[in-house]
Amino acid sequence: MAQARQAPLDLLAIRAKRYGATLVDIVREHRDYRKQIFQLAAVDLMRTYRGSALGWLWAVIKPSVTIFVYWFAFSVGLRAGKDVGGFPFFLWLVAGIIPWFYMSEMLTQGSTNFKRYDYLVTKIRFPVSTISTFVSLSKLYVHIALLLIVVVLFILFGYPVDVYFLQLPVYVALMFLFFTMWSMFASLLSAMSKDFANVVSSFVMAIFWVSGIMWDVNQISDPVLSKVLLFNPVTFLANGYRNVFIYKRWFFQDTFALMAFLIMLAGMFGLALYTFHRLRRDIADVL
Amino acid sequence: MTASDVVIDFRHVYKRYRLYRSDKHRFLGIFTKRVKYREVFANRDLTFKVKRGESLAILGKNGAGKSTMLKMITGVAFPSSGHIEVNGRVSALLELTAGFDPEFTGRENVHLRGQLWGLDKEEILALEKQVVEFADIGVYMDQPMRTYSSGMKARVGFAISASINPEILVVDEALSVGDKAFREKCDRKIKEIMAKDDVTVIFVTHSSASAAAVCNRGMVLEKGKLVFDGSIDDAIEFYEGPREQPLVAEV
Repeated sequence: MAQARQAPLDLLAIRAKRYGATLVDIVREHRDYRKQIFQLAAVDLMRTYRGSALGWLWAVIKPSVTIFVYWFAFSVGLRAGKDVGGFPFFLWLVAGIIPWFYMSEMLTQGSTNFKRYDYLVTKIRFPVSTISTFVSLSKLYVHIALLLIVVVLFILFGYPVDVYFLQLPVYVALMFLFFTMWSMFASLLSAMSKDFANVVSSFVMAIFWVSGIMWDVNQISDPVLSKVLLFNPVTFLANGYRNVFIYKRWFFQDTFALMAFLIMLAGMFGLALYTFHRLRRDIADVL
Repeated sequence: MTASDVVIDFRHVYKRYRLYRSDKHRFLGIFTKRVKYREVFANRDLTFKVKRGESLAILGKNGAGKSTMLKMITGVAFPSSGHIEVNGRVSALLELTAGFDPEFTGRENVHLRGQLWGLDKEEILALEKQVVEFADIGVYMDQPMRTYSSGMKARVGFAISASINPEILVVDEALSVGDKAFREKCDRKIKEIMAKDDVTVIFVTHSSASAAAVCNRGMVLEKGKLVFDGSIDDAIEFYEGPREQPLVAEV
């Protein structure tokens, strides 16, 4: 009897140990290949912007056009763009949409890493867990460059840098962490099935519109809905950037929002670890 | 034979592929065990050791499991069960035209590969010099690799793989790319690498003649199983002779 009761627990312990070993492997691969991760991030960046006459400028042109279009549609077309907290609608829009550019890149391109870098998986001995990390890092470089431009923009508009800007690295780090793990999870699944990549790309626009990038989440009056929306990591991050630039709030002031995000982060961590553990050995066989 | 002399150690290695009816079934198969699939074994119960400096020929027909085994030695595929230990830097001349980023030039790909291996700047420059010299494709070295012919890709591929001073060299005979002059150049280079007696060579082939010229030990794979392991002459005899013949020195 005692044995029978013990067995499931033992099984659980064995499993936990295996997943722990996988996690240790991931950490070790990142440590051993840290030099390569930074080099490959630079290579990935080069790969994205080369072969076009304007090259690097595209990293700025594309977001600028998007921002202009939304600003035009809302301010001029819908006449909905009102000032928020003493800031022009334009700046409010910019503050929230800047992280979205990184997030949407990670949602779409970040979920096809193993297909784009299949030669690292099937032809060369290379730690596959680091692929998502260097792709994410390469997108992060662009994001940080855009972020600096935005800071300059705020200064030009007459809003100087203040103490709230100190929390920018926190939001950048949280966003990087969440979407790097997402990318590992999604790339594995989309390598297994084309459907998954299609599902993701068809939902990107939907995610954009429900996540409160174009409207103010804090204006939702329904108390339940406003709490539920905070479980969307995209909302938390876009809102977070606005905390820095517009609302002038600290990230720990809204405890509920922070906890909701951390729960989602932990969930993403679990998903990424689970899929990596289950699929890393199969991935070379199906690509 | 001390442990450090063994560079490749396979213990009861199985490689199983699961064949699903479609991609959809494979996708569902990740989450539930109820999806039906067929199991195909590419390798069954492979157990052998290879010592440092040995030159081993692997003989077998198409589908005998040679490539799967090589992939596992190279470390890009993993066994379904069993244990594999490989000590030493493996350089595989498997698919020479693969493993490049088509958007980058030949030169950039050499740098990329050097970085992947974790070489420092000077080592990469030395590698680049060797590759440029050996591949001998002139101005194409600075063109994107997507513009290369398969022969040019193979030249760069071979030059890179041959230039890293491998401890274990895996040569696939499907290497017959490029013109005659270049092939002879490759053969000379392989022989040069093999002449260093601490380099272990694994040579994969359908043809016994080339195996006999290069190797001293032979293994025969059949339907994923190791059916013969012994001296190269005996292996060739086993591979080519009638199957009814009694096994002379099966291990």
